[in-house]
Formats: sequence, C-alpha cells, structure tokens
Amino acid sequence: MAEIRLRPSQENILAFTGGRMGISAVPGAGKTFTLSLLAARLLASRALGPEQEVLIVTLVNSAVDNFAARISGLIRQTRLMPNFGYRVRTLHGLAHDIVRERPEAVGLANDFQIVDESEATRILHDVALAYLRSNPDLIESYLKPDLTEVDAQKLRRDRIPDLVESIGLQAIRYAKDQELSADDLRQRLDELPLPLPLAGMGCALYADYQRALNYRGAVDFDDLIRLALQALKTDEQLVLRLRNQWPFILEDEAQDSSHLQEEILNLLAGPGGNWVRVGDPNQAIYETFTTANPEYLLEFRRQPGVRDEDLPESGRSSASIIDLANHLIAWSNTPQAPEALQGALIPPYIQPTAPDDPQPNPPNRPELIYLHEKKLEAAKEIETIAASVKRWLEVEENQQRTVAVLVPRNARGSELAEELKRLGVDVVDTLLKTTTATRQSAGAIANVLRALADPLNGHKLSRAYRSWRGKVEDDSKKVVERAASHLHRMMRTEDYLAPLPGEDYLEKIGLHTTDEPAYHELAAFRESVRRWQAAVLLPIDQLLLTLSQDLFTEPADLAVAHKMAGALRQRTHEHPDWLLPDLIGEIEEIATNKRKFLGFSSDDTNFNPDDYKGRVVIATIHKAKGLEWDRVYLMSANNYDFPSGAPYDTFISEKYFIRDRLNLEAEALDQLRVVVHGDPEDWYEEGHATQRSRIDYARERLRLLYVGVTRARQELVVTWNGGKQGQAVPATPFVELINFWESLHGHR
Amino acid sequence: MNWTRPQRAILDLPSGSRAFVTGPAGSGKTTATTQHLLDLLSSGVPGASILLLVPQRTLASSYQAALRTPGAAAGGQVDILTLGGLARRMVDLFWPLIAHDAGFAHPVLPPTFLTLETAQYYMAHLVRPYLDQGFFESVSIDRNRLYSQLLDNLNKAAIVGFPHTEIGERLKSAWSGESSHLRVYDDVQTCASEFRRYCLENNLLDFSLQVELFRERLWPSLLCRAYLQNTYRHLIVDNLEEDTPVTHDILSEWLPEFDSALMIYDEDAGYRSYLGADPSSGLGLRDLCTDEISFTEPLVIPPTLEGLGARLGQVLDQVQTLPPGLPDGLEALDYPPEPIRFFPQMLDWVVDRVAQLIDEGVPPGEIAILAPVLPDALRFSLTNRLDERGIPYRSHRPSRALSDEPAARCLLSLAELAHPQWNRSPSKVEITYALLQTIAGLDLTRAHLLTEICCRMREGRLVLEPFGRLRPDAQSRITFSIGERYEMLRSWIEAYVADPEAELDYFFSRLFGEVLSQPGFGFHSDLDAGQVAANLVESAQKFRWAIETRAEPMGQSLGQEYIEMVRDGVIAAQYMGNWQPPAADAVFIAPAYTFLMNNRAVDHQFWLDASSNAWFERLYQPLTHPYVLSRAWTPGRIWTAADEFEANRAVLYRLILGLLRRCRVGVHLGLSDLNEGGYEQRGLLLKAFYQVQLAAGKDQANG
Repeated sequence: MAEIRLRPSQENILAFTGGRMGISAVPGAGKTFTLSLLAARLLASRALGPEQEVLIVTLVNSAVDNFAARISGLIRQTRLMPNFGYRVRTLHGLAHDIVRERPEAVGLANDFQIVDESEATRILHDVALAYLRSNPDLIESYLKPDLTEVDAQKLRRDRIPDLVESIGLQAIRYAKDQELSADDLRQRLDELPLPLPLAGMGCALYADYQRALNYRGAVDFDDLIRLALQALKTDEQLVLRLRNQWPFILEDEAQDSSHLQEEILNLLAGPGGNWVRVGDPNQAIYETFTTANPEYLLEFRRQPGVRDEDLPESGRSSASIIDLANHLIAWSNTPQAPEALQGALIPPYIQPTAPDDPQPNPPNRPELIYLHEKKLEAAKEIETIAASVKRWLEVEENQQRTVAVLVPRNARGSELAEELKRLGVDVVDTLLKTTTATRQSAGAIANVLRALADPLNGHKLSRAYRSWRGKVEDDSKKVVERAASHLHRMMRTEDYLAPLPGEDYLEKIGLHTTDEPAYHELAAFRESVRRWQAAVLLPIDQLLLTLSQDLFTEPADLAVAHKMAGALRQRTHEHPDWLLPDLIGEIEEIATNKRKFLGFSSDDTNFNPDDYKGRVVIATIHKAKGLEWDRVYLMSANNYDFPSGAPYDTFISEKYFIRDRLNLEAEALDQLRVVVHGDPEDWYEEGHATQRSRIDYARERLRLLYVGVTRARQELVVTWNGGKQGQAVPATPFVELINFWESLHGHR
Repeated sequence: MNWTRPQRAILDLPSGSRAFVTGPAGSGKTTATTQHLLDLLSSGVPGASILLLVPQRTLASSYQAALRTPGAAAGGQVDILTLGGLARRMVDLFWPLIAHDAGFAHPVLPPTFLTLETAQYYMAHLVRPYLDQGFFESVSIDRNRLYSQLLDNLNKAAIVGFPHTEIGERLKSAWSGESSHLRVYDDVQTCASEFRRYCLENNLLDFSLQVELFRERLWPSLLCRAYLQNTYRHLIVDNLEEDTPVTHDILSEWLPEFDSALMIYDEDAGYRSYLGADPSSGLGLRDLCTDEISFTEPLVIPPTLEGLGARLGQVLDQVQTLPPGLPDGLEALDYPPEPIRFFPQMLDWVVDRVAQLIDEGVPPGEIAILAPVLPDALRFSLTNRLDERGIPYRSHRPSRALSDEPAARCLLSLAELAHPQWNRSPSKVEITYALLQTIAGLDLTRAHLLTEICCRMREGRLVLEPFGRLRPDAQSRITFSIGERYEMLRSWIEAYVADPEAELDYFFSRLFGEVLSQPGFGFHSDLDAGQVAANLVESAQKFRWAIETRAEPMGQSLGQEYIEMVRDGVIAAQYMGNWQPPAADAVFIAPAYTFLMNNRAVDHQFWLDASSNAWFERLYQPLTHPYVLSRAWTPGRIWTAADEFEANRAVLYRLILGLLRRCRVGVHLGLSDLNEGGYEQRGLLLKAFYQVQLAAGKDQANG
C-alpha cells in the first residue's frame, strides 16, 4: 500500500485491531477515507480467513460505490478474482443478504420479490381508499368544524386520502420497527381499556397492506430489515456463521442508525466482536418520521468497553465558516437558545488542520460572508440570488471555482433554476431533478413504446425518432430537426412505415432530391421501427431488450434497460391483464422519477462538484450532504423552513384543515406507542405528540442549517424570505449567526 | 466399435443375469446398455416383453433414437415407461378391482385421471375458500405456486411412501424458525387431506393417488402382479439414482422374477433429489443382483479438470483428501481479465470469447453455454448476440405459460369476441394483436387502423363491423386484400355467435382449421403458432374431460372457466419444445441441469453468472421441503441452517463434478460485479473458486 500521510487522530483510529469503537467526525474530516483505509489495512494485515470479509455498512447506495472504488483502489490483489475480502452494503442491502441466506426461515419463497417505493405507495393508496370507503367517519371527527361543506367535499377528494395514506405509512413503519405483526397489534389494541382510534386505523391499514403484499409474494424495504433481524434472532447457527464471515464491521453515517439497524449489527458483531461506528450526530437530518436517531450512536459511545474517538480536524472550510458552524454548536448548548433547540448540536467543535496537512484550510476571507438580514419577498429572494450568482460567475477567476445554491425544498430550487436559465446562466440541476441514467433510458424507451402503441400518430413517431437519434452534434442538429418535423406532420403513417407499391411517403414527396440527408435519416429510422414493430408481440422483457440494443450503447444504460425489462416482466406477472399501454405508464413513472429503482445506484453516484467549475449547482441541503463548494448560497432561512419551536412557527405537517393544528401522523404514532408500550401513567393525550413532533422537527432543521453552512469552503451567502403569506420571520438560529458575526466584524 | 472392458462385460452378460452397473458420468454405460437392448431384440426377445424404466422420459432419448434406427430392431414395441406411467396404466386396467376398497365414492363409474394442470385447477378450487379464511396468511407466495407446492407434498408422500396424513406433522417437527409458521403446516395438512377427500368423492386421480393405489393396492394384488410378471420378462433401468424410493422398493421385490435385468447407476449424481430422487435406496438394489460391473475411469475428463474438481470438492468440504499428483487445474479456468461491472457486459464477454474460440478452430458444437437458470429473456439476449456474429446455436424453444404465448392470447381474445355471453370483452389492444397475428400481410400500423375503425362498442361489448360498411377511403387505406381476410374472420365469428355455445376445445379446433390455418391467415405458415394452438386445444380438452364429471354446478360455462384459469396462470400448459435446430454443429445453450440430463460432453463450457446463488440454492420452499419429506430423513429431527448450508455445498459439488466430467478442455466463468437486478452477488460457487486460487497461491509460495 502506498504511503499516505495521516493526521494523529486518523492514525489513532487506524491503529484499531479489534473491539468496539465509536467515532464522532466533524464535516469534512474525511471519515469515508479513514474507514476505507481501515478496511484496506485490515485486509492487508491478513487477519481474515479465506471465507471472511470486512463488512462495511453505509447509508445510501452512492456511498456503497464510493467505498468499493476506494477500497479496491487501495488493495491490489494478483491472480485472484476481484472484489473479494470485503462487502459494502446499505442496511437494506445487508438485510437482503441476510434474508437471502435462508428465506424460508422467515416465511419467504427464495425468489421473493421486493416491492419498491412506488409499488408500495400504490398498494397503500388503494388500501387507504378502501379504508376511507368503509370508515368515513373517523377522519371527519378531526376536520376543523368551521369548514364549509364545499371545502370539506374538496378535501375529501383531494387531501384526505393522502393524509390517511401518510398515517398508514407511519403506522406500518412504526409497527415494523417494533417487530410487531398486524395481528400482534390488533390483539394489544383489543386489550386496551379505552379505544385509540388513530392507532386502530393504523392497525387496519397495516393488516390490509400486508395482505396485499403477501398476495404478491412480496415484501417491502421495511419488512426486509424486520425479517433480517427475525432471522438472526431465531437462528443461532446463522448468526454464528455470519459472525465468522464478517469478523469486522465498519459502520458509516452511524448518526442515522435506527433501532433495528443497531440491533442487527450488534447481533452480527456479537459479544467481544469488532464493530466500528463512525458518524456525526450534528448531521443527523433523516430522523423525521423515520426510526433513525443520533442517540443510538451517542449511547454506544458511552458504553463501557467502547473506545470513544473523535475526528475533529477538517481542512474543508476557512476559519470564518468554521467559526459560524462552531458558534451554532456553542449557542445551542447555552440557555439563550430556545428550549427546543438546546443540545440539538453537540461537540466536538470543528478544528482546522495543521499547516503542513495535505488538506490545509482555504485562506480566511471574512469579507466573503454575507448574512442578509433584510426581509425579501419570496420572488425577490430568487431574483436577488440569481442576479448575484450571475455576477459572481462573470468574474474571470471564478470560472475555476465552484458554487452552489442550497434550498430547503425541491420546488424552491426549480423556481431558482428557471430564473437562472432565463438570465442565461449555465445551471447544473441534476441533484435537484436527479436526471439519471435510469431516467434517461426510461424516457427514451417510453417514447419508442408510445410510438409502437400508437403507430398512427406522427407526433409520437417524431418523439421516438429523437430518442432513437439520441444526443446529436451541432452540425447534424438541423437535419434531425427537419426529419423530426416530417414525422410530426405525417397524416398517414402507414405510407411511411408500410407503404403499398407506389405509395411510399418518402418517394412521393421526393425527399431524396429535395433533402437527401433527411431522406437517409428517415429511411434508416424506418428500418428500426419495422424491426421494433416485428418485436411487439414478444414478452415485454424481450421487447425492451430489443429496443435497448438499438437505443443505447453505454453499458450502464443497457444494464438499466435489462433490469427494467425484468421489473416489467414481474409487473406482468402481478397484473396478467396488463398490455403495452399499461406498461408504458410504468416506464413513465420511472422516467419521471416517481419510481426509484433499487439496485443500480447510478442516481447521484459520484457527483463531484469539482466537475462543474464555472457553473452553478442547485441542490437541496439534504442532497448536498457530503459535498462542498467554494461558494454556497443558503436560501429560505426563515421560521417556516427552520422553526425553533416558537408558538408562532408554522409546521408543514400540521394541515390547515385539521382541528387544533394537530399533526395527525404524530398523534397516530403516539397512540401506537401507548398500544405497544402501554404504560397507564403515560396514557395518550391529544396534542402532546404534535408538540413533541414540533420540537423534534425544529432540532433536525437546526442540524440541517448546520449542514448547509458547512458545505462552504470559503464564501457563504444566507438569505431569508417572508414566505407565501409574507408572515414568516428570520429563523432564530440565523438571527443568532447574524448577531455573532456582527459582534466579530461589526455591522455591514 | 472399440468397447472398453466394463462395456464388454455388459455385452457379454450371461442370460438370466441380474446386473448392477455403476460408474461416473461419461464412462460409456448407456452406450453399452443400448447395445445390450438391441442385442436382446436381435436374439429374438419380443420387444413387448422388455420394460425400459427411466425416472423421466427425456432420459430414454438415446434408447429411443437407437430403436428408431431403420433395421436396428424388430419384434414389436419396447415399453419405455416411468413408474408413474406404469402406475397409471395399471390403475386404468384394474380400476374395478380396487375402486371400492380404495374408498372411491362411485366405484362403478370410470375414474378421471388428472394432469398436473387439472390437479392444480381442483386444488385452486378447493383452497380458495380456505384462503379467504386466512389460511397461509403469513407466507409470501404467489397463488399458483402455493397450489403446486400443496400438490408436490402429496406427490412426495406417494413416491417416498408415507401416509399423506403425516405431511403436516413431518414438516412441523423439522421446523426451527418462528413458531408462528407452524400454523402454516397445519394449513398445508388440511388442504392435502381435503384434496384427497375430494378426489375420492369424485373419482379423480392425481399423480399421488395413482402411485399410491399402485403401491398399496395393485402391486400387492396377485392378479396385477401376475399380469406384470407375464408381460415383462426383461428389465433395463437407466439412471436408477434419479428414481424414487417407491420405485426402488417395487424393483427390489420384482427383480427376482425377471429373466434378465440390467440396472445402471450413475455415481455422484442424483440431480433430481428435489423431485424425490433417492440415490441411496437405488444403491441398495446392488445386493440383489448377480453381477456387478463397475466403470472406474471416466472417458472424458482430463487431469487438469479432475484436479480442479477435487480442489473445489475440498474447499466445499466434500472431499477429504486430495488424490496425489493431480494438478490444481487453474490453467483450465478462464474468466474476464478485468472486472466487469454490468450483467449485459458479461454476456458480451461470453459471446466474444465464444467467437474467439471458434476463430481458433473449436467447432461450435464443442461449446456449451450453461446457466443455473435460463429465463426467456436471458436466452433471448444471448441468442441475439450470437445471431449478430453469425454463430450457430441450439437451444430449446422456451417453455412459456399459455398466457404468455402471443398465439394463445390471440385465440383467447377471439374466443372472448365469439362468446358475448361471457361478458369478457377483450381490449382494443388485444384485438389489434389478434388481428395482426391472424391476418397474413397485415402490418402493425394498419392493424391499429383496422381496430380503430372496425371495433365498435355495442350494448356494452366490442363487436367487429363488416368491412363493406367502412368509408371507401378507409377501405383503401387498409387495403382490400386485408379487408377480404378480415371479413372472412369476422363473418366466421358472427356465424358462430348465432349458434349455441360449443365446447371450447371444439371452438378452437374449428377456428384454427376453418380460418386461421388457411392460406392468407397468419397460422398457415407459422408452425410454432400452430403448435401453441394444438397445445391449447389439448389443454382445453383435458380440462373439459377432468371437469365435466364434477358433481357440483359451476355457475358459468366450462369454456369461460377455462379462459379465466388460463388468464390467471393457474393453467399454464407449459411444455418443452423441440430443440432448435434438432442437431447441428452449434453452440449449445441450456440450464446446467438440462445439460447434465442431456448427458454429452463438450470441449468448452461457459458458466454464466457464476456469482449467482442459483447455482446451489434449491427452489422455492415455504410449504414443502424436499429433504424433510425424503426417506433418508429421520422424523423428529430439526432442519437447521447448518443442514441447509451443508446441503447447498453437497448439491453444488455434485453439479460441479457432473459438469466437469462432461468437459474436455476448459471452463470459462461469466462474471459481473452486479447481477441482472443490479445487486452485488458472490455466491458459493465463486467463493469456492476464489478459495482454490488462494490455496494454490499459498502452495506456490511454500513450494
């Protein structure tokens, strides 16, 4: 292994040879790097037998690829098959591996299906509608009494089914996290002295949902985790074998660990086993309505026998950015912070690296920090930022630098992207849209299938043609336009696709003499369409494979098409009556990103901000996790997006049409908590959960703000707006940052 | 022909001998036994007195080929049977003798023999009400598999030889998982018993009941035994190791009665164990034989591959000590030099390598591409790539469920159009596809046009308008020749609708014979579609025969019931098609087990998707269990993860050995980081290779 210069804190961690260790790493401390290096060292130390692997568990698929690439780069084995000796998995991936060991032990066929989010949502949606039809009264009792009948009608149609679906989703997730079946839950409900209607509803939805899954021979992602744990708990030999297989477990992003994740890894590590957990509790931003909680990592670090380490140095940001981030930590631990936010951020503080570090901090330029105190209208905020970005990019030296605008929500980002494009700024919004290989391949396939399903339609034929052509160089763009336009205007497509003698459209309009390049385009496209049409009776998977061979050349596209083919095949098994038009709908879902495709992680894999120098990247703060830019804009720092638990804050989960501003998802979960943990002293009281959920949400949003600030290397601009109604105020932590900054540098 | 010593021993067997032949695959046992059969015939033994018993009919193909050779044999038809086939024949013949005692409700009425499909239909019919009561609720399994597993349990009980009433108890006592799953096995038992009760009530005979009646009532009866002993004087059994315990039981009693008997037993095989094959009870027959012939040397395998096999056996804990002097065999192993990321890229690599081998002079027929399972789409992807390079290949026509066959769907749609009383209108898309297949010369664009213009909703159902009623410009767009054919089809359907509903199989036959197979119609020259149509007719007919006798009323016509069952996939009528092309110097593409059952050797084998778990994992299992329901299982024992692990290793080793023994030069592993679904997988097979590599590296370092 090549010599790599390490910081003392990193050396300290790499000295690990066994046992349990918990590590807090600050933003930019290089924890992925350190963990990969640790894995590579363990492999090189020959501590592993031929059947053994280092198991690395991380949060998202993109990180899986990242780890795998780093480790395989760090170790070079000769004359051996690639990829042996370690295994990188998300929790879902790991659960899948475990369940796959012996599916029948948990009641599954061994080619059991996993329904993805979209199918799960569709099932739950149907379940929710059916529930509402037979139980219309329950939700009615939660509606605001002063709604007009017209409003109520509209809500019943447009909003309430979604709300019930959302309550169902939370209830099901909670019950699965508690390892309870719908039957178990129902039994406990029946034993209660008083009815808990929302819990009852959740239980009914859970039972129906699970029945629908069973009917398909399928499980969802949460089941996978629950069943993995069940397999480990019931099969001691399995646990022993897996412990032997994975003698070292390295867990990344441990701040987002859930109760079940912890339990699974704990069982796999076993007493005296080797388990390293790395995370940054201050970056725990996935907790709302998931069962993740940074407390698990903190508690782990406090356990006796666990080595408690920090990775506090970070070379990412300048001293000023570090000051701001550290101040947020310090403030949240003072009595001056609103009660809800106290302790939401915790030490270690970020420390700059030593001057001779391979990653020194950027030079400090406090004059490049702008905390915009003045209120802006929502539209004005967008204009202001767009103009600022444009100005900045026009500066010559910034062509070699990176910039991002981070928004709390996708919609806001899209509005900004529109404005920037209007100003002629080169925008990178891939993180926003997740325009992925999957989406593009799905889009192209959908276009061609639409033309096959409706071959009389010239417009669809024209779109299929563009997809078939793919990306075109500038010089042939015009030819493609002309060819597409011919197709678009075509009235009798049969004269083009299957002409009778003397009726050939291309000949009749004399295209080969008037526009020879377009003639060749259309003649070649016609050949392809005929080949596709001949394949239209094939099973859908084979049709797709046939198309993909004509449409794609990139291995990743072809692989995605291959997987899509399998997925659609599966759909036709689930819905034997489905024909081409139904399947196109399915592909459209993938193309518009309503459906996530499990497996291929092409989505945001390896998004590298440095590839976009001189352009502006727009992303949500969530998507920006793990990334950094020279200049960062943070928008919407108001009390709607970053509340602090004040009475005047408004919350996204509190629907205007529900009485007493109740957060029904939170209320339902609280009722379930009572059902599960039934403590007569701690009985359900309406409204308490709504309050608690506000606090949890406010704390998470403070951490989100912290994540946003720490994306910046050198320059930071923070703005806020008055919200839709103009009644929002600047977020309390933002005001605190402004005050802090002015105390250091005076008012600007 | 140059016979080896053990082959000669077979040919020189004295008359009256009962010989037991053992040896590894590829050692020439079947070749000599085929000659033995021909020798018997040419010595004047009547063909009808020879019983050739095989575990499944495809395993008799080399005998059938020899018997078909002109001039090879005279003297009547040799009976080539499976035990199931024999049982069915005897039950049919001796029905009046046993029906009453066996508990059938109507012993004077003839029995109805069920096929796999019709049995599945009845099982579905019986189980549905239980499902509504919450049976099997905790199990994730699709319906059709549920039914087939329930039947599988009954079949296992019959071929292993334990009462079907013990199924649930056996499964329960071996279960080590969540205790809540135990209820499922009670459900399994209830359904099995209910199915059996229903069969007895209605004179229905599924496979399990046929075997059970034969084993318990006919074989012990003097009359039947005398009949069998008079009929068959000579016995040849091939692939004894793939047959069931009950077969072995019966043979052990029958063996002394034959004038001559020859039984062949493949060592290290038993690939059908998930279907109830029991090599150990087969081996037990050896002691009852007068002669034993042992083939020790395989003809095919070179020392490199033998060494590789032994080393893989060692890391899989199946071989204790390595025979001295064998090479590690790694030079016979080939895999992509650089890691391949995606599955389709792996297919590209495989086909590139195949092309390269052929360029180097390897005949295509000496190459086999093998996969653990070979779904339709994978075969399609492979054959496409081979087509592009002009490489000849041979593969089975894929076996698809009827509901997946375009030709069958076409016939179903037309049936729905012709039976408005069913209230099942096909969709416009279905009609378009039906017309596209039916009318020769119709292109997809005009098929859409035709449907757009001619399909009308009338009284809530789709009807086809006469072509003559269309506007002239529409007629000319569609063309008059297409119009004429359309009109023939339409008026045929119209005439049919006017008459009373016919039996569905009769409807299909007529439609096919009178319209679709005529010149100008799509099935005229499409032999595959014709085959599917014939298959559909047969399936519908068998369904009718099996269901007509049912006592209780159905509420809808048999035809409608059948269509619904096909659309739901309960009736699949899957069948293995012919090899395409039948025989040629072509690359062989097949699932690994099919290749083994085909029993021929090649120079080069490609093992696709070598990282897949499918190389060693058994099929779906939540309602049944091949090991627990086998004879070797001690009732009361618990099946643990360690058993599973051990079974997987043993299965994998058996498969590896079977493949290597049919390989002359080299094995090529198709590997990709991500499997078809985009998941990383490193199954036992790949791990085993990796460990052999590691060990070889260490040996090198040490020596």
